[in-house]
Formats: sequence, structure tokens, C-alpha cells
Amino acid sequence: MKIAVCIKQVPTREWQPRLTDDKTWIREHDVSYEMNEPDAYALEEALRLREKHGGEVVVCSAGPARVQQVIREALARGADRALHVEDDRLAAADASVTADALAAAMAEERFDLVLTGLQSDDLGQAQVGVVLAEKLAIPHSTIIMDVQADPASGSVRVKRELEGGWFQWIAMPLPALLTIQSGINQLRYATLKGIMAAKKKEIRKVAMPDARPMQQVIGLALPTRAKETRQITGSAGEAAKELVRVLREEARVL
Amino acid sequence: MILVIAEQRDGKLNRASWEAIAAAQALAGELPVKAAIIGGSVAALAAELASAGVAEVLTVEDPALASYTPDAHTIALRAVVESASPTFVLMPHTYQTRDCAPMLAARMGRALITDVTALSGTGKDAAFTRPMFQGKLAAQVKPLGEPPFFITVQIGAFRADAVRKGGNAPVTPVTVSIDAAAVRQKAEPPFQEAKQAVDLGQAERIVAVGRGIKSQEHIAIAEKLAAALGAELAASRPICDNGWLPMERQIGSSGQTVAPKLYLALGISGAIQHLVGMKGSRTIVAINKDAEAPIFEVADYGIVGDLFEIVPALIAELEKN
Amino acid sequence: MTRETLDVDVLIVGGGPAGMSAALRLAQLQKQQGGEPLAVAVLEKSREAAAHMLSGAVLDPSALRDLIPDFEQKGAPLAAPVHSDQVHFLTPRSTIPFPIIPPPLSNHGNFIVSLNALVKWLAQQVEAEGVDVFTGFAAQDVLMDGPRVIGVRTGDRGIGRHGEQKAAFEPGVDVQAKVTIFCDGVRGNLTKELLRRLQLGAGRQPQQFAIGLKELWEVPADRVAAGTVMHTMGYPLRLEEFGGGFVYAMPGGQLSVGFVAGLDYKDPLFDPHMAFNRFKQHPLISRLLDGGTLVRYGAKALPEGGWNTIPQPYMDGGLIAGDAGGFLNSMRLKGIHLAMRTGMLAAETAFEAVRSGDTSAAGLRRYQERLDASPVRAELYPVRNVHQAFGHGLLAGLAFSGVSLLTRGWWPADLRGEAGHDRMRMLPADADRSSHLRPSNETPIDRRLTFDKVTNVHYSGTAHDEDQPSHLLVHTDVCSSICGPEYGHPCTRFCPANVYEIAHESDGTPRLQINASNCVHCKTCDIMDPYGVITWVPPEGGGGPQYNGM
Repeated sequence: MKIAVCIKQVPTREWQPRLTDDKTWIREHDVSYEMNEPDAYALEEALRLREKHGGEVVVCSAGPARVQQVIREALARGADRALHVEDDRLAAADASVTADALAAAMAEERFDLVLTGLQSDDLGQAQVGVVLAEKLAIPHSTIIMDVQADPASGSVRVKRELEGGWFQWIAMPLPALLTIQSGINQLRYATLKGIMAAKKKEIRKVAMPDARPMQQVIGLALPTRAKETRQITGSAGEAAKELVRVLREEARVL
Repeated sequence: MILVIAEQRDGKLNRASWEAIAAAQALAGELPVKAAIIGGSVAALAAELASAGVAEVLTVEDPALASYTPDAHTIALRAVVESASPTFVLMPHTYQTRDCAPMLAARMGRALITDVTALSGTGKDAAFTRPMFQGKLAAQVKPLGEPPFFITVQIGAFRADAVRKGGNAPVTPVTVSIDAAAVRQKAEPPFQEAKQAVDLGQAERIVAVGRGIKSQEHIAIAEKLAAALGAELAASRPICDNGWLPMERQIGSSGQTVAPKLYLALGISGAIQHLVGMKGSRTIVAINKDAEAPIFEVADYGIVGDLFEIVPALIAELEKN
Repeated sequence: MTRETLDVDVLIVGGGPAGMSAALRLAQLQKQQGGEPLAVAVLEKSREAAAHMLSGAVLDPSALRDLIPDFEQKGAPLAAPVHSDQVHFLTPRSTIPFPIIPPPLSNHGNFIVSLNALVKWLAQQVEAEGVDVFTGFAAQDVLMDGPRVIGVRTGDRGIGRHGEQKAAFEPGVDVQAKVTIFCDGVRGNLTKELLRRLQLGAGRQPQQFAIGLKELWEVPADRVAAGTVMHTMGYPLRLEEFGGGFVYAMPGGQLSVGFVAGLDYKDPLFDPHMAFNRFKQHPLISRLLDGGTLVRYGAKALPEGGWNTIPQPYMDGGLIAGDAGGFLNSMRLKGIHLAMRTGMLAAETAFEAVRSGDTSAAGLRRYQERLDASPVRAELYPVRNVHQAFGHGLLAGLAFSGVSLLTRGWWPADLRGEAGHDRMRMLPADADRSSHLRPSNETPIDRRLTFDKVTNVHYSGTAHDEDQPSHLLVHTDVCSSICGPEYGHPCTRFCPANVYEIAHESDGTPRLQINASNCVHCKTCDIMDPYGVITWVPPEGGGGPQYNGM
């Protein structure tokens, strides 16, 4: 099976927000980056599918030069080669531009399966995978917790997550695109040999296509709490009664 | 005109659809709001929506829509949107919406802004607030290009009971032919799995315990409160480190980040590592003996007192009703 | 599961300034001299290069100039040249500036740097030469064949908190090398093991340490001119306590603010982190930070003992460089250039030894000869007694330093130092032994200028996989018995990251609780525990602080 995995480089979870002066983006100086967590699970799933069915895992990423860090990490974990759409504009690009870039990189090859994370830890739009499927004209399903591929019959059956502990099995013909949910498997470590071998694996650079942004960030801010803390006083009984009342009538959470 | 796409499964409206209607009414200002509902058979639901203070209810009924697939849904919704020509299309940010809205917007070459928590302005000048960087930042975003602009609204960000109901809107069926061969997915019926792992991220209400609970035995009182509230039980790091509750119940920078409707912090001091995991909650209640505890800086309601007296009183009060 | 192995010619343990300089020097020698390519590998426990790098810092560029003469063209991140030195003696409310800057504290020609930024840049130079730098790999054990070092074994990955193997379990890797250069930093866990097994410290004085706490602040850009270096002594330390504070100003309103306290204090209730808070509350400092934003926090120990505490730095198959060997000038408060220089000299020695085929102690002894002939000895030997003089108090130390400047370090007999943790006194007989002893230097915190340890740790970016065993090994349970009455659980005070807490059983017995994932890898606990029962070993590779800008 020829499997493509789209991975994104995002700031680490420990990152503290600092904004540019015009407050339309984050200050990238002194940010530490890592592989988007759902994408890491997508990569692991691809590696397992390759172990089971044979074939090739190709990592695709759209971003500035620095995303080489996560491409290398993916190659070290076992991906065979990579496609990198390199452009500084991709650092803050919206889902449509990112999907256009990935589609351009993948257009020349015919993949049986395309895996992405269900959403990114930075923008969190949950769009790129589905938009990419539409641009590649292949069927998709999202938030996948189990993948059963049958390359011989050219089909795949996947378990899709729904709200509230519900799930659903979906069958589709290949090629198809799946957005993967974190926790679908257990991530493997990169070995020393893997890290050394990664240096020799091909990373093909692809030019950024013309892409039209579809949204504009006009301002970023730390979320503020508009409300003051309301202290509820009195005896235990009185306070309990008042709290239940405000939760029911004011906050309306009961 | 703002078009709201309601969601249904097995003949029941997803409650979040009402939230989307409330959001649409806030966004619309003086513009009309219309609703749309698609499925195998939606007459009853259309009638329900007709009294939701909307100008019209558009429907598509087709056996291909009886159970959800993104392909069939996109074809049907595209027809509805093209026939209605709205400025904005609003949907609730459900799992189903995440599965098909990006496809619909991309197919129509239109902007899609997801997971919106607030609106500012109305009509064409509207800007939309959405979380970024896992809630560390709030972004104001504007769509680009031509209308219709697609918006999905975060579950719980708008109040279903804020819908200005009334009226008896006409129900207009939209004719679409859905070629079965164009639907590439085959969906089996949804099923529920026995709960394996705790998913605090989905809980609407959470009762969390911290060091103030003093011992493992006392967690029982927090469990009783959680049961009375229909809430999930969670904890700050020290409780999980002690093994008093499993690690998957941990909230904070080394555990889960949650934003439920109600977060009740019992005996939690509010160390910054914990706050980053829950300060996005809609309503935060803190009960702590220490009036200076940092938790009170993020709480909406606070009680300075002994949780061992207040929690039983709370349980009694809740059980009264 | 089979254990991965890797064979190299030279293995460098630790990717700090010593390790990176050694790696780069080896690549340079390879290019210059041609011949059979040397296989070189660097093992670094942090997730990405320089993530665990923390220092003040004011850099003496001499070693950098020798290693990379065109460092400026290559974009070495030197934040600001020093153009103003200030030294203050602080009293509780005020300051007495030194009218002249003591020569060792004069920084003309030096640069204020972020060590994290510098090592990140060095790592890029190393990678450009094709040297493998393996981040996320923590060296756990030395591999030995009798007295000969043959390499290191890295830690297992994927072990759960109760010792069980998780699904992704990978056993540690055995990296075998002809020469291993140990650059594992202050109180390096492998160097510590070598000192014990090979008695490398025999005939040398015991190493002495200090803890450095540091924050990175952002203040209005015009408040302090970039290139300003401030050092303080006196308050909040007592005359018997060693240490002092610093403020280094970088461009754009970035201030490095820090405090160093000797890990040889006698008062078991002393808390170095509290001293740092008190330092910040002093008007001289607080007016610089007022209205600013805390960006980052961190802490690390420093080796202060000087020349006479440096162990034998060569052995069969091994060399020691950098802070691991104690190559730091505590009088000038500088160690980065010495780490780089010793790394370079170790590389030269290793290169020669591998090429000649003699990597025994005899073959590697050339390292000691190189050190003795180099600026390392020229700089460290004359000040070999200074830190030991401070062991007699601030005034004695200052007086001795003054005299030794005049005599160029001559003194009739070398002063003897003792291991710092042995100086800690027990609580006086009439002390309150209730379980909630407060630090003797406690000061109220406001969470704007001063912070509690837990809040500070949040700003260190420290993260570890929670599901792993604790990496702080406490060999003997003194916590539930004698430590409380004797010292009042000093680990709860000297750890700058709130790793150690004392909880109580229902019958009141104290119980040690270890919050291992707070650990910032400073090594203070391994050093300062008065009973010597704490051993720090590396947690699973990839975990630890994220010291961007530090």
C-alpha cells in the first residue's frame, strides 16, 4: 500500500503565548516545536499498515524550513521518504491554503490511503484533512479509531468516533482519506539506527502553488474573564442553598 | 439572510441545532434567519423548526439521507444552500459537522470558520471569535471571498434557550437528486461501546478534588456530589500522584484540558499547572478553606469554607429537587 | 526484544558547550588531516539541542574564537557586548556600590549571551559537519571492561510508573566507543559513577557546589542599557554564606536575573529559592523588574571548587570535560569558555589516540598535559584557593581574593575545602520540630515579582512522561525517622522545583512524596542531601526543562 501521512509542526504544549506587535500572529522567536499529536498517531497507524500490507509510507508537510524537524522525526520513526512544500507563508496559513499546498505536493503520485490527524494543536480548525480529500477527489471519513484495510479488494473499513461514546463502522473504496484520532495506537520511539537512516532518506521539495486564503486573523488575545468572582457567604446550609440557586437560575448549568 | 443547518439522527434534533439558531439570530440583526433540515423523513422535525422564529424551513428528504454519509449530505446541502443564497450558513460544531462541512465549503469554494465561540458585529462586517493553541489564545477571524460564508459554532457557546421562538414558518422542500453511485461511503448503524476510558473532555459537568480532600476515603463525598450533579469526577495532580484516582482523571498541564459547562473545584488551591487545564470552563465554582487560594482568581463563584461541611449541604440541597 | 548497539570511534556524552565543542573539533581535525573517517556520536538527554542549557551568562569569547574564528560571520548569537560592569554590596534596604570593579569581575571584551541560544547555534555547526547528535537519549550506565571504559548504555524507554514494560518499550542502546568523552555536566551521573569506580578523585579535594537560580524577564526596552552587567553580594545572604546575585541586560528589554547560593550553608532551614525571591524584592532589583513579565525560570548547580577539586580527567578509554570535571572559574563566575576549551582539548587528545591506536590511560594522559599547557591551567591554578577561602566567610573570601590577585595566587599552602553537605548543621536541640517548619529566610510572595516554586516550575517548560518510575532514588528511608528531627527535611527547601514534599500518614509519621515530573535536572538534591542518600539518575530521554532564551 502506498500511504501518505500529512504532518504538521506546532508549538509544544508547554509554550507560553507571546504575540507579535500587531497581535495578528504569535511571536515565533523562542518557540519550541513538536509534531502535532494526532499526526503522530496517524504516522504510527501508517507504519503499522505498512508492516501488515507492505508498501511505502510517504510523509507530507507544508511549512517553512523549520518543519524539517518533524519530517526528520517521521523519517526516523520509519517513514520511507518525504514531500515538503516549503514556504514561509505556510507558517500562519489557513486550512484552505494548507490543503492546496499538500494537494499540489501529492498530485503527481497515486496514494492508496492518505492519513492526517483529526485537527492541529495550533489552529485547531479540523478542516485540512477533509478539504484535502475533496481536492484529491477521494472519499473520506473523520475521527477514526480503527483502520482495517483490504488492499486486495481495494477497500477500507474504519471505525469512526461520534459523540457520547458512540461509534460507527464505515466502508469505502480505496483510495481514501482518513483523519485519525489520538490514542488509536501506541506511538513507537525512534531508534538510533532510525535517526541515522533518516539523514539519507529523500525529502523532495515542492514549490508552493498559487493558493487563495479564505480567512483572515484580525486579532489574537489572551482569553479574559469578564466576570468578577462572586463570593457566597453564610453558614454551610445557606451557602449551599444560594449556590444551587445561582447555578440553576443565573449560570443555568443545572 | 442567515441559513442554519440543523442536525438530526433517527428523527431527533441534535440539541446543538438550537444553539446554532440562537447564534444565527444574534448574527442576523435585522436580516431574516432560515433553517434547513435534511434526512430520510423530516416532516415532524421541520414542523418543530417552523416555530423557531425563522422565516422559512427548507427540507430535503431522500432515502440516501436516512443514515448519514458525508457524500450524500454534501450533495443535498449544496443544493439547499444554492437555492437559498444566504450570506452565512451556520451549523453546530458536532462530529457530523466536522465530517462534512469542510467538504461542502471546499466544493463550493467558500470560506469556513469553525468552532466559533462569539460573534462581534452583524452582517457583512461580522468577525468571529474562535479558540487557538488549545484555548491559550482567542482569535478574531473574518472570512474572505464571496458569500455564503460557512460558520460552525462551538457546542455550548450559545444558549439553546436564547432562541427567540414564535411564528409558523412555511416549510419548503428542495428537490435534489442524489445519485447512489456518487455516495462512496457505506455506513453501518452507530453503536455504543462500553465505556473503557474516561473522557473528561466530553463531560458537561466536572467535580474535581485537590489536596483539601485530605485522604482517599473522603473522595467518596466528592463522588456523591458528582452523582447528584450528573458530573464526572476529576482531580488535580497530587491526588493522582498518590494513586487516589487514576491518572486519566487528572486535569492540568500534565493531564487533560477541559472546558465543561460547570467545573466545581473542591479543596484545589489553583496552582498554575492546574488552572491551565480548566480555566476555559464556562462556570467555575471553587470551595476552599484558604481565601487567598489562587483558584478564586478564576472562579465565577467562590465559597471560602470547610468543604466537609459545605459538600454534604450541597448534596442535600440538590437531592431536594 | 534485542538491544540496539552502535559502534563509534568517539562517543561524546552530553550536548552542552563542552560536548558540542568536542564534536565540532573532531570534525575539524577530520577535515584537516584527512584519512580514515572517524565515526563520532553525541548523546544528549534533552528532546532538542540546548533545551537543558541554562547559565547567566557572560561569555569570555576566547575559546569560541579558537574554535570558530569566523563566529561573527557565522551568526553566533552573542546578545550584547558588555559595556558596563557594576558590583554592589547589598544591605537589606540599600546598596553600597563598589568604587572599582574587582579585576576578575571586569568583563571588558566579553559578551552577554543566552547559553541556550549559543548551544543551539553550536549544534547547527555540528550537524552541518555531519556529526550525529542523538537527542532524547539519556546515558544511564558506563559500559566497562575491567577498568576500561568501552562506552555507555542509554536508559530504557517505555517503562511504566510501576516498572512494567509498556507497549512501545525499547531497551537502552549500547554505544561502544574507542574513546568516550564525558561532558555530562555538573554532578554528571556517569562522571559520578566513574569517580567512584576508578577513584579518579583520589588525592584531590572534594568538589564544592553552588545552586544558580535564574529567570528571564521582559521589561520596557529603555529601562536598562543592553550590555549592562550587575553583580551583587551581601544581602540576602549572611556573611557566612557564599553567593550573590546578577542582572545581565540584553537587547529588547530582555533581562537575565539570577542568584547563586553556595551549597555549603550551615542553616538547615535555609531555602535558596527564597533567597532568590528576597534578592528580587530588594529595591535595586525590584525597580528593574517592576511592571515586567516573567518569561522563563530555571535552576542548575555549578561546580565551584576550582583547580584542586578537578579529578584525574583521563582513564582507559575515557576523558572528562566541562562542568562534569569541575572546569569553572568561580572567581570570574565563568565556565562556558572553559567547557569549550576542555572539550576541544579532549577532542584533540581523542583524535590522536584513535589514530595512533592507543586509547589507554597512558595514551590519553596527553589530555592532562594539554590542559596544563593551556589557558585552562593558566586561568584556574592561580585562583585555586579562592572558593575554599570563602568557606571561611564573605570577608575572609574577599580579603583572600584581594591578596591572591597581588600574589598571582601564591599562598604558602593550599587551602582545604570540604564537601558542602557535610557543613549543614542539625537543628538546635530546642528547635520547634513540628512538621511544618518554615524556611528561615522566608519572605511573602506576590506572584507578580516573586513566585512560589510550583508557579516558577511552570515557567521552566518542564515536562516528563508522567507514566514512568521516579528518577530520584532515595536509598535509605531517613525521611520517616531521623531526618525530620535532625535537619527538618531540607530537601523540601533546597530543591528549586518542589520535587520533594513531606506528607503525613494518619499516625503522623512523615512520608516522602516525590513529584518527579517537576524536576529541572539541577542536581542539587544529589549534592546537598546531608545523609547523601539521594541519587539522581536521568529520567526517560526527552523529558526535562525547555530553557528557551536561558
